[in-house]
Amino acid sequence: MSRHRGSRRDGPGSRLNLCAVVERGAQRGAAQLSLLRSALVLGPPSDNGAVRGYTQEVDRIGLAPTDQVSSARRAGKRRGAPAASRWWKRLPWTPGRIVVVYAVMGALWILLSDRALLALVSDAGMHARAQTFKGGAFVVLTSIVLLELIRRRERGILSFGAEVRATVDSMVDAVLVIDESSRIVEANRAALELLGAATKEEVLGPVKDLGLRVQLRYLDGTPVPPDRFASIRALGGARVQGYDALLRRHDGRDVAVNVSAALVGEGARSRLAVAVLRDISAARRLDEMREEFLSTAAHELKTPLAVIKAYAQLVQKRIPAEAAALEVVQRQVDRLNRIVHHLLDTSRLRLEPDAGPREPFDLAALAEEVIGRERAAASRHTLALVTAAAPVRANRERIARVLASLVDNAVRFSPRGGAVEARVEVREGQAVVSVRDRGLGIPPERQARIFERYYRAHGGTPDDYGGLGLSLEMSREIVSCHGGRMWFESAPGEGSTFHFSLPLDPGAAA
Amino acid sequence: MLVVEDDLDLLLLMEMVLSEAGHRVRTAAEGRTALARVEEEMPDVILLDMRMPVMSGWEFAREFRTRHGRACPLVVVTAAENARLRATEVGADGWLAKPFDLDDLLALVSRLVRERGAPAAAKP
Repeated sequence: MSRHRGSRRDGPGSRLNLCAVVERGAQRGAAQLSLLRSALVLGPPSDNGAVRGYTQEVDRIGLAPTDQVSSARRAGKRRGAPAASRWWKRLPWTPGRIVVVYAVMGALWILLSDRALLALVSDAGMHARAQTFKGGAFVVLTSIVLLELIRRRERGILSFGAEVRATVDSMVDAVLVIDESSRIVEANRAALELLGAATKEEVLGPVKDLGLRVQLRYLDGTPVPPDRFASIRALGGARVQGYDALLRRHDGRDVAVNVSAALVGEGARSRLAVAVLRDISAARRLDEMREEFLSTAAHELKTPLAVIKAYAQLVQKRIPAEAAALEVVQRQVDRLNRIVHHLLDTSRLRLEPDAGPREPFDLAALAEEVIGRERAAASRHTLALVTAAAPVRANRERIARVLASLVDNAVRFSPRGGAVEARVEVREGQAVVSVRDRGLGIPPERQARIFERYYRAHGGTPDDYGGLGLSLEMSREIVSCHGGRMWFESAPGEGSTFHFSLPLDPGAAA
Repeated sequence: MLVVEDDLDLLLLMEMVLSEAGHRVRTAAEGRTALARVEEEMPDVILLDMRMPVMSGWEFAREFRTRHGRACPLVVVTAAENARLRATEVGADGWLAKPFDLDDLLALVSRLVRERGAPAAAKP
């Protein structure tokens, strides 16, 4: 009956307390399941199909390994494992059921064995010895049955554990399990492949050691400090959003990965962190290709525009009589240029509207930088800046572009020069940036459409001063992706004030 | 003055405009030729397109800096979205975004030539 009799010889079937063994096994199974759940939930959101598939599989296997041995066995059947054919071999042997079987056997024995004995042994003298023999037989029988049931349970749990392990092992992403003393205690096959390690032993050990060995660096080359490792932060209770990093394999090759980690949830006896490393090399190559394409497109489109504009200006100087006509030519070239710029920009931003790393920074400091740069370009305007510290967590580059675009607009639409005032402050728990100019202002009948793509409040009018920054539509989209708002006030002849808000960084020191 | 640009129309236009403003202008259609011109005679300003065949603006800038350091101001003339970024990448002394205003071109060139100390006219 027992297929695995040989393999259990030196296992828990020995003199150890069988119940304790069973209990440990159940907890191991539950821990491994929690592990898997954590690992799955951390997969990058873009790969939803794969994550959903895995999560469904896990849910099908279920939460309590004790109840699902039968499904695991069914799953094992699909995966080609040998199938048990008899129903009593398939029953999930929970402790409750084992005890029930024992109790039933015991009850039946109590009820029937005395009568059987009376029937078999008529001699009163033999009765006592027969009773002893009967008692012994009961113990032997129930021991055998209990042993068998417990073994089946163990096997079920271990096979379930093996299923979970096999699933984690077959994952494409590298999964590392780190215990509360920051040691890597488990690594799946993908982790060994990613790190270029031949055996698991090469990977196990303090996670800081591994980090040093693989020269874990941020994409800009600065080393990741060990206290910022995803697993260490997770063990400290932080919810770690993935970050991109570089690591060096055993063969010397560098690999770009996205690292994320989380604490293992309920069910595990000790604190464990699960770290997932996803190879992002392909995604980065795609990004590079796209950048290359966009760069070429910009060049191919803008060079002819440069030629047309330059010749129009040249002819305008030589034939002043035709100045007006040539002015129109130039304006249209500028317009084409804006459209090209917007198309390229938009395609870059639309492909991933919410992408890009978010980092904590001070909006006031960013404003200083941006205004400083814009000052260099705006010789006829004074750019004033008033700031208060405003810590936010956002895509720094994009917010810088939003701000630069607003300042650029302010400068462009104050054609007679003048003052542009920028302000960074904290209002009602939000960081608010305002850019004010005292230029043309926006006519009220055009204000409603100001955030429309391609809409230009002064387009086609003598006050069309172009503008090469982000469109207002794109700026607003970027701000709202961050959970903020953009709005403005404007009056013709008085100028405009554009505002945008961003939520403050909750993690920043007050 | 050396103008390095692979688009012939634009190259001729820039040569014409700069000559009319009193500068002596030499031209090159890509980086390698430009390096040769520099070897012949160090210009007082180099106007550099970035995307060119054979040897690009980046490669030229790197070569030039290696061989000649900061012997001559470099101006990046680029169609790239972020002309300023290109300029800093290359350590340039100025930038012009295509399509540019002729006035801006002339103003920038005059300023750089003046800062370099060479009189605007009659010197290469």
